[in-house]
Amino acid sequence: MNVQTTSDIATQWPQSVDGCQVPYEVFTSTDYYDREQHLIFRGEAWCFVGLEAEVPDNGDFKATFIGETPIIVTRDEHGVINVMQNRCAHRGALICREPRGNVSDLQCVYHQWTYDLRGKLRGVPFRRGVRGNGGMPESFDMATHGLQTLRVETINGLIFATFSTTVEPLEDYLGPMVVASIQRLFHKPIEILGDQRQHMHGNWKLYAENTRDPYHASLLHLFHNTFGLYRASQQGASLMDAGHKHSMLYTKAATTDVEVDREIYKDSRSYNTDFTLQDPSVLAGRSEFDDGITLVILSIFPNVVIQQIANTLAVRQTNTVGADGFDLVWTHFGYADDDQQMRDIRIKQANLIGPAGYISMEDGEAVEIVQKAVTRDQDKSSFIAMGGGVAEDCEHLVTESAIIGFWEHYQSLLGVA
Amino acid sequence: MTELVKLCAVSEVLTDEPKRIEIENFPPLAVYALDGEFYVTDDTCTHGMASLADGYLEGEEIQCPFHGGAFSIKTGEATEFPCSDPLKTYQVSVQDDDIYIQADLGR
Repeated sequence: MNVQTTSDIATQWPQSVDGCQVPYEVFTSTDYYDREQHLIFRGEAWCFVGLEAEVPDNGDFKATFIGETPIIVTRDEHGVINVMQNRCAHRGALICREPRGNVSDLQCVYHQWTYDLRGKLRGVPFRRGVRGNGGMPESFDMATHGLQTLRVETINGLIFATFSTTVEPLEDYLGPMVVASIQRLFHKPIEILGDQRQHMHGNWKLYAENTRDPYHASLLHLFHNTFGLYRASQQGASLMDAGHKHSMLYTKAATTDVEVDREIYKDSRSYNTDFTLQDPSVLAGRSEFDDGITLVILSIFPNVVIQQIANTLAVRQTNTVGADGFDLVWTHFGYADDDQQMRDIRIKQANLIGPAGYISMEDGEAVEIVQKAVTRDQDKSSFIAMGGGVAEDCEHLVTESAIIGFWEHYQSLLGVA
Repeated sequence: MTELVKLCAVSEVLTDEPKRIEIENFPPLAVYALDGEFYVTDDTCTHGMASLADGYLEGEEIQCPFHGGAFSIKTGEATEFPCSDPLKTYQVSVQDDDIYIQADLGR
């Protein structure tokens, strides 16, 4: 296939002995964007497409995206999960136009071509004409005009799909560290609490960097710091899979040593132990994991983040919309056996995240202020070196190593050095 | 009490070409000829808004022209995806070269 693999991008990035430099054109260039769609989102990667709990019943569907390609996730009449392109085999129209629903078949609104829940074409209106007029040619074979289906694998209720026929099985792609982290958070049946959706006016990779960056978390997020959810003085780590494409950041329960924190943050605008909340109930949570870990940001290449912030559990799916924008869909969940108090805690703590979250709103702003500042400086580059400037696991939070790991994998997929 | 309701003349219903009938007090009806017998069902598919009289009669199955679903014209049973709800059928009689159905009009 000759699909935009010959686009004009630099094959060599700036080299630095003491850090990683990323040319800003990767955030603005449509050549990079086209190559990513082909080589990442429709290439050698497993992409997250949903939770099984989003399509619990036979006939349920979810319409979403892999990169910029619309896809449909269905649970068919046998309870099997299927993923297919959301593009009619006739004249290319979107078939599912709602984010979720329950149907007996998939019907294109344009000419009502009808497919079963596995993407097989089952009906073409007036295929044999109307009273002798019109109709499709005799040779028309419905079996050869179904929806394009994708490879699908699930792990603990998470659904992944890929266009690739060659990418390794899902568990090998994720690696043991990511698999263990998924098994920890999805150790029992979940219950969907709802979605938050936002459009970010910035490149999707700025968010991939953001979610692999423990360095910013205690500096950008005043709420985190001020109310003790996350401080650089906490015990935590930044870990990667063997291929460095995925990242897990975690911290254990917040320190209570005000003097230690005051010393560490003495020059920072973002730390003030004198602030209190008039209504602290948003921070009232429950300990629910025996390992003492209270914050996990698990970033799975290329398009999903799985998070635990206190009792807030969510998946964040990234759908690209051109080089300078993406949609971010936050799907909140709890456990099916949560009692009412726990459900209330999770719903109240949902205020921490999403487009207007006490914490997460600043990440949206961080993405956009980079995009604004670099647009006319495509030949300049960033400098990423906190923690030593190499992609290696760190048992602390003062590091950007997982960002470097992301770029290493990105470069290998796009064929740049 | 049931009464006979006249639909059309026998000569108006051709084999392989069901006839759509619109009369008062009934939804649109489809009349089929098969092996010298006549059958009547509702004309509107229970799946989409298609007229089954525009469909294709294959044996005792009427295939919907829209989405490929099908019904038995004898029993109304849905026999092919994506149809699942049965189609209403009517009891038919032929008198003096005219086709009638028996129906209770509630009067």
